Amino acid sequence: MTLRQLFDPSAIAVVGASATEGKIGYEAMANAAAFDGPVYPVNPSTEGELFGAEFVASVTEIDDDVDLALLCVPGPAVPEVLEECGEAGIGAAVIYASGFAEAGGQGEELQEATVAAAEEHDISLLGPNTSGFLVPGIDLRCSFASGVEEIPEGNVAVVAQSGGVGLVLAFQSRRQGRGVSAEVGLGNRANVGFAEAIEYFDGDDRTDAIVLHVEGTDDGRRLLEACRESDTPVVAYKVGQSDVGDFAESHTGALTGDHELYTAGFAQYGVPTVDATDDLLDAAAALGNSPTPDGPNVGVVTAQAGPGIIITDRIQRAGGRLPELTEETQARVDEILPGITYADNPVDTGRPMPEFGEIVTAVAEDERVDIVLVYELFEAALGYPVEELDGLAERVDKPVLFATEGIEEDLAGQRNALRDAGIPVFETPERAADAAGALARYALLNDDDALADGGVAAGGGVLPDAVADEEVSADE
Amino acid sequence: MSDAVPEPIESARADGRETLTEAEGKALLSSVGVETPDFEVCADVGEAVEAAERIGYPVVVKVSSPAVTHKSDWAGGVGVAVGLDSESAVRDAAVAIFDAADEAGVAADVLVEEAMDVERGTEVIVGGLRDPSFGPVVLTGLGGVFTEIFEDTSHRIAPIDRAEARSAIEELQSAPLLSGYRGSEPADVDALAAAISAVGDLVSDHPIAELDVNPVLASSDGVIALDALVVLEER
Repeated sequence: MTLRQLFDPSAIAVVGASATEGKIGYEAMANAAAFDGPVYPVNPSTEGELFGAEFVASVTEIDDDVDLALLCVPGPAVPEVLEECGEAGIGAAVIYASGFAEAGGQGEELQEATVAAAEEHDISLLGPNTSGFLVPGIDLRCSFASGVEEIPEGNVAVVAQSGGVGLVLAFQSRRQGRGVSAEVGLGNRANVGFAEAIEYFDGDDRTDAIVLHVEGTDDGRRLLEACRESDTPVVAYKVGQSDVGDFAESHTGALTGDHELYTAGFAQYGVPTVDATDDLLDAAAALGNSPTPDGPNVGVVTAQAGPGIIITDRIQRAGGRLPELTEETQARVDEILPGITYADNPVDTGRPMPEFGEIVTAVAEDERVDIVLVYELFEAALGYPVEELDGLAERVDKPVLFATEGIEEDLAGQRNALRDAGIPVFETPERAADAAGALARYALLNDDDALADGGVAAGGGVLPDAVADEEVSADE
Repeated sequence: MSDAVPEPIESARADGRETLTEAEGKALLSSVGVETPDFEVCADVGEAVEAAERIGYPVVVKVSSPAVTHKSDWAGGVGVAVGLDSESAVRDAAVAIFDAADEAGVAADVLVEEAMDVERGTEVIVGGLRDPSFGPVVLTGLGGVFTEIFEDTSHRIAPIDRAEARSAIEELQSAPLLSGYRGSEPADVDALAAAISAVGDLVSDHPIAELDVNPVLASSDGVIALDALVVLEER
């Protein structure tokens, strides 16, 4: 099964399209109508036009190569509509209706009938019980939610178990000035689940990082394996520290809950986890816009001591480390700014100054530094060191993160210049530090030598004798 | 790993049981290289005394019956007798178990086992189970009576190699206990990692629903499984 027909369709049919504002069939059509390709409203009991397209009675009557059907019909009608879609050669469908497996009983039977119809005709199903998906880069908005046309294109694919959380993340990404490459609400995951979505977006040119919102899935192992297979970085937010399973007989059973397994499993399979929607997007902004860090060592440059202290304090808790800079770098910093407030890590220049960019460059070039984090309050007379930072990350092959504060309107131009240069920008010292921590954890979790460096855990390195390198990981 | 069903699992299945006896569980562990104390399963008091003589005092005597899962709670506490250093002590303990079994109407043997000095190491739990979503998983943590008090455990999706097992140990809050604490010798962490990896393989390769090795005694001499509970998947 490929999801190309779902996420990159040639033409779309909106089944159950309605001319009545407020109905799902109207809202979905309104959002879909902006799509570049043909969009056909389908409804046997309506005639005339909707958003410039003529109503047709059935998908089988469309004289075009339609890939995707948006099913704005009640749940019980879905299997039959899918049969027609199959006849019409449609390879993907979004099912907005609820009342399927999540409702139990007859809903489960309905979902089984739906999946059976889809499998017979090889149709990829998003949902049921979803708000749909968005691909802003091609004006593809298969959602009935209002305001989705305002969500800008970015390079992060949001894959959410809940369509509602998917939209929460998409709207947040807009407010942060970042946007998404796609936003997907998986809903009931009838035959398109996390693994399929991860695989698709890993191969998507618009996507540089994938974020997951996970409530729980019946095939956790497949999800983890898809994460490991993905060359695109994946960050996950597992919600719900739910109860342990029904195991009664062993201590092991009593001590093994869903949350423990997700947390341990994501770490084992190279996926940093976070505990908030903001953190998810911040981590993705850092990972999706940076070279892959080689290690967890963060070099901090700050123009003000206090924020720098918050950052350094927080980075260590978030999983990063603060190496001492090489003597060479310290001498270089001292040469650029003799008598600097603090010339080791963090380097504290005391205030913004013209040489700030040079200092950042010196720290970025330090061989002990894997990740660079810069903090500076906006100084109107100086602006940001855009010129020095532009291309720095690529040149030193390390992430360079930037965090700042000031009057929003005054700094917007300079901040946008940084963003245009591909530099991840953060709003608070804490969020920048947490993003650096996510980069550090990503480096450790995906570094085969990390264990020899003392492991990932905060208490790492306490045991004697590092294990010999004789073994190749059994699960790789 | 071979696909053949190990003998202890086969014999439990043949009996229509889903829970292995401690002896079967230990034989299973032993088959994958996890060390256990020397033990014998004895059908009467005389055999128990002979076994104790052969193993050497002190010994531990425990009830061995598919009907008894929680041995130390069974029959007012006669199910487990530790630190027995004479023939008469072994005889008394065995008699008490057989009497209690008769009274309860359960078929039981006694297991006579080499006593281990638990002061000479750290008690660790190593466990495995088959999770409905993740499949085979392993766990390690602080063992013995502290297992459920501190819930200091770390999990991995199985199978895992020794390096991954070692990282699981490193994550434990109680990891410093294994690294030589107040002058005690450091435990053989590599042997513990090997045992965790072996338990992961067992759960991955065989129809095991749950497996507890608690405690595993980890010391500078290696690791040794002092108890074993194995529950097979329902058929």
